[in-house]
Amino acid sequence: MELIGRKGMATEVLLVEDSPGDVRLTQEAFREANQSIHLHVACDGVDAMAFLRREGGHQGAPRPDIILLDLNLPKMDGREVLAHIKDDESLKTIPIVILTTSEAEADIVKSYQLQANCYLSKPVQLDAFERLVKSINDFWLREVKLPQHSEGK
Amino acid sequence: MKTKSLLSRKLQLAFGSAILALFVVGAISYRSVVVSSESDRWLRHTHEVLEKLQDLVATVQAVELNTRGYLLTGEESFLVAYHAGVLRTKYDQAIVRNLTLDNVEQQRRLDALDLLASQKLQLAERGLGLRQTIDLGAATDAIQRGSGKPIMDDFQILIGQMQDEERHLLALREADAKRRFAQTKTALILGTLLGLLIVAAAGWSAQRDQAARGLAEEALREGEGRFRTLANNIPQLAWMADAKGYIFWFNNRWFEYTGTALDEVAGQGWQKVTDPDHVQRVVEKIGNCFRTGKIWEDTFPLRGRDGNYRMFLSRAVPIRNPEGKILRWFGTNTDISESKESGAKYRGLLEAAPDAMVVVNQNGEIVLLNVQAEKQFGYHRDELVGQKVKNIIPEGFAERLVADGTRTAAEALAQQIGTGIELIARRKNGSEFPIEIMLSPLESAEGTLVTAAIRDISVRRAAEKHLAQMEGRYRGLLEAAPDAMVVVNQSGAIVLLNVQAEKQFGYSRDELVGQKVKNIIPEGFAERLVADALRSVEEALAQQIGTGIELTGRRKDGSEFPIEIMLSPLESTEGTLVTAAVRDITTRKKAEANLLNKVEELNRSNEELGQFAYIASHDLQEPLRMVASYTQLLSRRYKGKLDSDADEFIAFAVDGAGRMQRLIQDLLAYSRVGTKGQELLAISSEQALQQALINLRGAIEEKGALVTHDPLPTVLADEVQLIQLFQNLVGNAIKYQSPGVPKVHITAVRNGANKWTFSVQDNGLGIDSQYFEKIFGMFQRLHKREEFAGTGIGLAICKKIIERHDGSISVESQPGQGSTFRFALAGSENKS
Amino acid sequence: MPIEVLLIEDSPGDVRLTREAFAEVNSSIHLHVAADGMEAMAFLRREGVHARAPRPGIILLDLNLPKMDGREVLAQIKENPGLKTIPIVILTTSNAEIDIARSYQLQANCYLSKPVQLDAFESLVKSINDFWLTKVKLPH
Repeated sequence: MELIGRKGMATEVLLVEDSPGDVRLTQEAFREANQSIHLHVACDGVDAMAFLRREGGHQGAPRPDIILLDLNLPKMDGREVLAHIKDDESLKTIPIVILTTSEAEADIVKSYQLQANCYLSKPVQLDAFERLVKSINDFWLREVKLPQHSEGK
Repeated sequence: MKTKSLLSRKLQLAFGSAILALFVVGAISYRSVVVSSESDRWLRHTHEVLEKLQDLVATVQAVELNTRGYLLTGEESFLVAYHAGVLRTKYDQAIVRNLTLDNVEQQRRLDALDLLASQKLQLAERGLGLRQTIDLGAATDAIQRGSGKPIMDDFQILIGQMQDEERHLLALREADAKRRFAQTKTALILGTLLGLLIVAAAGWSAQRDQAARGLAEEALREGEGRFRTLANNIPQLAWMADAKGYIFWFNNRWFEYTGTALDEVAGQGWQKVTDPDHVQRVVEKIGNCFRTGKIWEDTFPLRGRDGNYRMFLSRAVPIRNPEGKILRWFGTNTDISESKESGAKYRGLLEAAPDAMVVVNQNGEIVLLNVQAEKQFGYHRDELVGQKVKNIIPEGFAERLVADGTRTAAEALAQQIGTGIELIARRKNGSEFPIEIMLSPLESAEGTLVTAAIRDISVRRAAEKHLAQMEGRYRGLLEAAPDAMVVVNQSGAIVLLNVQAEKQFGYSRDELVGQKVKNIIPEGFAERLVADALRSVEEALAQQIGTGIELTGRRKDGSEFPIEIMLSPLESTEGTLVTAAVRDITTRKKAEANLLNKVEELNRSNEELGQFAYIASHDLQEPLRMVASYTQLLSRRYKGKLDSDADEFIAFAVDGAGRMQRLIQDLLAYSRVGTKGQELLAISSEQALQQALINLRGAIEEKGALVTHDPLPTVLADEVQLIQLFQNLVGNAIKYQSPGVPKVHITAVRNGANKWTFSVQDNGLGIDSQYFEKIFGMFQRLHKREEFAGTGIGLAICKKIIERHDGSISVESQPGQGSTFRFALAGSENKS
Repeated sequence: MPIEVLLIEDSPGDVRLTREAFAEVNSSIHLHVAADGMEAMAFLRREGVHARAPRPGIILLDLNLPKMDGREVLAQIKENPGLKTIPIVILTTSNAEIDIARSYQLQANCYLSKPVQLDAFESLVKSINDFWLTKVKLPH
């Protein structure tokens, strides 16, 4: 008998996305795929960093188990966010899934250079998008062993 | 009187100054008037001169006019007028000359004027003559030719100069006059002011003197009043005399003591109550002091109302005014004699004392005793007063007090004072008894006496004897004791020990008595008992009594051995002693060490076992995985491709491998209960159940099972294991079912203060009672593999989990009636 | 376009299983195998016999390797600027928290625990294929 779900705790997902439409879509797609997810949203890089560092209004923010990161963000660009997180000893173990519209080779290579865990390009069509989100859920939240963390860092 | 003369002198001074000022003012005023009139005179003079000068000018001009008139007209009238004018001119000149006689300059000018006038006259004459003789033309010619105008101009100029001179002089005089006036004014004002000032000063000074005098008098009266009040309240005799020595007031004590009234002793009347032998001297001395103002002091007897004379120390001090003059004398008389009263008081005290008190003089004779002494010694007072103290205290007392060659009685006494001395006393009937005496000195007119407080200590002695007896008995007990016993005193020295102690430590008694207990118990004993700054021996002891203390003992040969000591106090004449029962605990220690070892071994072995189980299953997994995977691949790929035997063989292999895999996994899970166990925390058992149900949702859905529960509490548990527990139990409940709807119900009931008993009840197959124990064993199954899957470890895991939580698990069941599994968990204070 | 996959795995049994499992789900995979860490680095650096080795699009790495431990291989690849963009999927039997944490610290792209059961293993390989070799944009 395998225990499903880690200790019955919900999975904390941080979605860094400025387009409210995309946010909603992602929310819906995740709800379909997995009930026990807490989806947090940051709408720009600055907010995302604040959430991760538990600063400025995000004092009680939980540590995400995985981050979905759009590259094109206002204030602080997604590449910058990626770099910041991977530079931070306490944050760099959190897997970062780039989920962005760009398919440019330069963006892909740059992202892997900055050690993004994987790069996904957002499909245009809704059902394809839903399938993508489902596959993220199936792979990252079912198959993959995510690093666990003790709260209180 | 000095004051008066000072005051009048001041006044004289003041008046004199004022008068002087007045004179000065008068003089100045007079001068001013004189100056003023002079000034007026000059003013008038000057105006006169100026006027006359103007007249002169006018006259000359008139002459001129007349001359021209005649020249022009030839009329006689003009000629007449001309002649008149000439005379006039001479007249005016003379006047002016007169007026300015004092001024040389002006005189000169006048001379010049005269000249000019003459010239002018000449011209005029000529002109006139010509007119008269020839005609107008000739005259006019002559005039035109002549220097008539310039002469006139010079004339005018001179006149002007003279006028200016006069005016200038006037101005000067006026200025002078003004100055003099200003001076006068200033002098007058100053003078007046000065006068006023002097008068004011004088008046103020006089007034101050007056006030000061008033204050001084006031102060004096107040002081006297206070003295009177004070004097009436003090125990001494007191009085007040005037500056001449006339005593005009006595305090109440005076009258009380002497039994006199004021009129009897006022003035010099006090001499009446003074001892006649002393009075002469006293009067002389006091008179001298009154005269000279020195402080008076004398000692002489005064007669009381009872007729007896007592010695008084008398003293008087003068009271002076601010100028130092004596206004009053304040005096006191203090009784320094031994009054009958104090003697009486002392006697009273003596009588009341609880102990026998005897007062002895320097010759060793009894001078005073109290009723207790009478009782104690069996004598009557009169029988003892005057007798030698040796009669009642034969030895030890008198000797200590005798003044011998080496020291005085006082010194002898000083050495004895305060300490209790134990002696023997003798009663009247000859019987003796032990006493303790305490001495204290007593000053008297006859010299130093000794007061002895005498206490009968027969009872105490008896008690001491009794105590000694008890001690003896105690010693006996000590010897008989089975344990080694050591008695230690407050300084940590051994005072007593028994034969067992000798044996235990390998010493003989004599070697230890008097030695420090540290020698046999190096550490831990003496320290605990030493009275240090923090606590007394009693307290130190109180802390240790009853408890066994483990220490180390040292034998004579130096070897050490573990001991346990039990302490108890022992009162003795030397203070609190400590009895220590010393027990050799070598064997016990060994046994303890052994036990610890065993326990450690056991723990280690358990741990190793656990680790072994883990490692074994973990390492076994690898090759097993190969076997299982490849047999399955074989089965997949070659089923039906080889012969039926091969199929069968492969099938068995796959099956075996699969089972082995499951067994290993379950073994791993079982061992993990111990190795991967986490801290017991406050966990919501309801949430744990929910998670278990989520994990089981496949099975629940498949079987259409109905799982219900009551509210479940917060318990102290390992969350993961709690979930696993529920998962196993509910999973079993669903699995071991006959066809139908499986129903499972979970409840929790409080059990005692902080325990909860959970029950998982199902409507499944039920279990026969003979298997109630067996099912919790490892890998125990009650069914064939074909019937129900599973390795049989589920309940063993449950049991291990519960045991880890300090609980127990049991089952209630009947075949066909379903089963109820029960287990208990500790609750948590937090409400879920 | 075949995808080049480097499998760093010392157990031949596991290698074969992996190969079979991938073959089931994706026929256009070139699966290269290195049996230990040294060989793996030589392959990646194109040294020696591996002079003409292709650059893998993805690496599957077992942690328990002889000679050079898998964690070290991971560290070395991620330190190499030329190699660090290649995604590394840890595929190992251990599911010990310490191994998982360490791998992510060393910037492994993801960590997968090899299931004991064959069908579960096959299912895992399938999901690797579905996700990494189908959906994910790999760098070139």
